[in-house]
Amino acid sequence: MTGVARSVSAAARIHAVARKEIVDVFRDRRTMLVTLATAIAAGPVLMLLVLNLVARQADKARELTLPVLGGDHAPALIAFLERQQVTLTAAPADFENRIRAGDLDVVLEVDKDFAVDVAKGKAGTVRLAFDRSRDRARGSIAEVEALLRAYSREWGRGRLLLRGVAVEVASPLNVEPRDLATPQSSGALVLFLIAFYGLFAAVIGGMAAALDTTAGERERASLEPLLTTPVAPIELATGKWLAVVVLNATAVVLTLTGFYLVLRFAPLPAVGIPFLFGLTELGRFVVTLVPLVALMPAILLYVGARARSFKEAQTNLSVLLFAVSLLPIMQMFLQKKEPAWLTWIPISGQYALLSRALRGEALPFVELLQSYVVPGLLTVAALVAVARLFSRESVLVGK
Amino acid sequence: MIEVANVVKAFGRRREVHAVNGVAFTASDGEITGLLGPNGAGKTTLLRVISTLMVPDSGTATVDGHDVVRDRYAVRRRIGVLSDARGLYPRLTARENIRYYGALHGLAGEALEARIDELIRALSIGDIADRRAHGFSQGERMKVAIARALVHDPQTILLDEPTNGLDIMSIRSLRDLLRDLRAQGKCLLFSSHVMQEVTALCQRIVILGGGRVVATGTASELLAQTGERTLEDAFVRLLGSGEGLAA
Repeated sequence: MTGVARSVSAAARIHAVARKEIVDVFRDRRTMLVTLATAIAAGPVLMLLVLNLVARQADKARELTLPVLGGDHAPALIAFLERQQVTLTAAPADFENRIRAGDLDVVLEVDKDFAVDVAKGKAGTVRLAFDRSRDRARGSIAEVEALLRAYSREWGRGRLLLRGVAVEVASPLNVEPRDLATPQSSGALVLFLIAFYGLFAAVIGGMAAALDTTAGERERASLEPLLTTPVAPIELATGKWLAVVVLNATAVVLTLTGFYLVLRFAPLPAVGIPFLFGLTELGRFVVTLVPLVALMPAILLYVGARARSFKEAQTNLSVLLFAVSLLPIMQMFLQKKEPAWLTWIPISGQYALLSRALRGEALPFVELLQSYVVPGLLTVAALVAVARLFSRESVLVGK
Repeated sequence: MIEVANVVKAFGRRREVHAVNGVAFTASDGEITGLLGPNGAGKTTLLRVISTLMVPDSGTATVDGHDVVRDRYAVRRRIGVLSDARGLYPRLTARENIRYYGALHGLAGEALEARIDELIRALSIGDIADRRAHGFSQGERMKVAIARALVHDPQTILLDEPTNGLDIMSIRSLRDLLRDLRAQGKCLLFSSHVMQEVTALCQRIVILGGGRVVATGTASELLAQTGERTLEDAFVRLLGSGEGLAA
């Protein structure tokens, strides 16, 4: 063939495969939908919901509304509560049922003998009705309890002062709470969510694409003619891997950008978590997730290439993903400090590093390097294994 | 030029199914050689051995002197294969499908685009060239797959049951194309289980039955060998009446 320029380098063939697979996968609506939906919906949107829930609870505690029964018996207490910006309402007669039903959080009942008891020098009785098993009510309950304690203390101090006794006589212990949580280390649930879904995006971001390019190719019987061209199995595996890596990286970047935007514009101060997920944390996340962005596509390709059909591949993958998602959950419930060797383990190492990045710590270079080693080796091994699968004669006959 | 010598290929756990059992034949340049045989005669396996997809258990096959096992990449550069499964990518256009294979053969840039245009013209698939392959008819799929197989202008062309599922118009245009290629001095090897297909096109006919070569020769040689008056009778006699040649 004259006049036709030929370049026979392997790099050109790998490039041709990667390019074709990227075009192919970006045109596949199902794959793109699954990839983008998991990237955007699963992570940032879920977190937005959680944050809103937390924020609403916090607001509720702050704007406390307290139904009161028999308030006339303790006018001084009522005046104190009103000074503390509590909105007081008259409690309905069936308030106990309303609390059980979840309509009311907490109700204050002043004993009808309150004034009489106080006049006799006895302690006045108030009753607080609530259902502590209801998560939503906890903020209000704690708030009312704290207010009543404060009133009791203030009243007692006044009495002591009247009798010329120093306040310290009755309260010899002075407790000063000092919370050592840095701004970033509070809000453990949100923290876990970000690390988990960041990891999740890197693990499954390339799933649909990897399946389509392996099991799908086999199902469409396009592998056989492909293998009669000069493309070597390892070139084919590498090209497909590159394409899936591009998609996986896209999913990760979308997820992390979603986190960044949500945490920037969500009503965070109200939650009481001065949470940090700025550009520095975003950068640390990306650096941490690089090995997984490379490794997971190689593993997914291997699972896809082994399977005889799309369905079989999906079944095998769900087992793999279950195991992978279990690791960070186990780590979260791990009560002890994480052992140092954990950084070497794929997934676990990345999760540990992500958690540290979220707590505002810098990532030590050595540990980052350690977390790259095993995924790097596994990536190469998986690609060689994929190439071997492609060169098996049985891929042609569907066995 | 394809030379096949005593190729044996068996499948199964104990290699008990002999798909190809000692086949030998030659396909020359400037000729269309037909592999004719009933279903299960070993045609597809034989084509897969020649196209380097399968390694023979014993025997050798060469394409222009290059061994299909030791020198498989040299063979792959010299052959164009239309496999039984057309295997087009449904989300790529006809042009993109052809371009992909051209790139894998090391073609690039304007040379590649010019070659694609040339094939699109030769196969008259201009109207579907920029449509995605998803909704193509059997005939359109076959034409695009042939264009893809020819993109690097191979000297040797292997076609596995190319007329399967085609209407008469598509079959005719395929025949014209294959005759053109023969006139250019190409070596064409083409398998079919339909006698009329083979006799309409092929100078040399290799009849396979049960993994072995039952007879080879031109149509008249086959008639002379069997002493029959029609080719159909000759095939039936050669293969034994049990193995029908009906499609």
